[in-house]
Amino acid sequence: MASPEHAPITLERLVEQTRTIYSLPYFYERFNEAINHPRSSIADIAKIIIEDQGLTARILKLANSPMFGYHTKVDSITKAVTIIGTQQLRDLAFAASAMGVFKGIPEELMNMAFFWRHSIACGIIARNLATSLRESNVERFFVAGILHDVGQLIMCAAIPDTVGELLALSRSRQEQYHHTERDLLGFDHADLGGALLQAWKLPANIFEPVACHHAPRAAAQFPLEAAIVHLAEIICQAFEFGASGEWCVSPLEPAAWERLGMPVNILATILKQSEPQIGETFDILMEGQ
Amino acid sequence: MHSWRNNSATGTLVGLPRGYRLVGLTQIDNLSAGMTLANDVLDRTGRLLLGAGVELSQKHLIVLRTWGIMEVDIVGVEDDDQGSHLPAEIMHEQLDAAMATLAPLFRNSDTQHPVMRELLRLAALRKATHGLP
Repeated sequence: MASPEHAPITLERLVEQTRTIYSLPYFYERFNEAINHPRSSIADIAKIIIEDQGLTARILKLANSPMFGYHTKVDSITKAVTIIGTQQLRDLAFAASAMGVFKGIPEELMNMAFFWRHSIACGIIARNLATSLRESNVERFFVAGILHDVGQLIMCAAIPDTVGELLALSRSRQEQYHHTERDLLGFDHADLGGALLQAWKLPANIFEPVACHHAPRAAAQFPLEAAIVHLAEIICQAFEFGASGEWCVSPLEPAAWERLGMPVNILATILKQSEPQIGETFDILMEGQ
Repeated sequence: MHSWRNNSATGTLVGLPRGYRLVGLTQIDNLSAGMTLANDVLDRTGRLLLGAGVELSQKHLIVLRTWGIMEVDIVGVEDDDQGSHLPAEIMHEQLDAAMATLAPLFRNSDTQHPVMRELLRLAALRKATHGLP
């Protein structure tokens, strides 16, 4: 493809380039070290989050919103560690920082408010689908949903001219955006987002569903997580909750639906439950960003 | 996969004529205090959460929601079928118009698949109800 960006565009180059511009939220690695250190106390773990006042406020607001359904009021991070659990709190904190991590994306390519509404909606619907399957530790679905299209943001920042061409081409060809990406670049935003999160050493139960959200059959380790994020994105597109590079509803992989073993009429319940939560969570996460 | 209904349990219920037992699968949003569970409610590991015959209290409704339970069998009602009825105030023309507006969005979807058919129906219903463009 005739591209104004010089070196050939490869997935590895984009991941490397992105890692020089964006980095994991400051708390993340320290939090992991604290979890893994045998002598850390709850207070040590909580302290890492408390140092970031904005993050602390967002986590407490999220944890006390009705969708989380924690019965006790979570009025401090120390309490959050004990009620929510350390790994869940880490996932939730990452979800609450994602928007701060990817800043400065050229708005003329993608409307960031639409993009994050699509992402947050996907996180909430994925979380609600997982809850309805009575999965435990559902915050990983929330964060995987929020991050599922992060590969699109990376491309907007690193190769804006190419993204402009891809967006226009997918619309003129009337094909899925990720098909156009794959056709011209040899990989798509799902591969790229998954590769970045893996390079950042996020757990596989987050980066694999992100990498496989358009092809859940390819998920070797976490097929259920991948199937849920895949379906959650399709639901967001069908109800036009926000928008991303995809201009129409992505095709459903029937095997992913069958894996979930849900009755079709649950979709109405999921919609009814999720819609008010999307607006509320969007307000909490966008505040001060 | 866990089962959505525990059909094996047939809790004995007092006060109903022998052999007569009307039971309906009811969505969590349509439950109210005072309804009676027709079957055991189990979690995905098979642990008993609430037993057949329990009369639901307000607290039970909150707890069911927290556990992620979407529907339970209730004594004395019919299955609530959200699919077949349109809210009275929505005209079929409005729904058809919404379907037509949505056609380009669903152009790469197989709307013969039950999930996509249901999503299209719900999206059209939502558009028609809220008067969305």
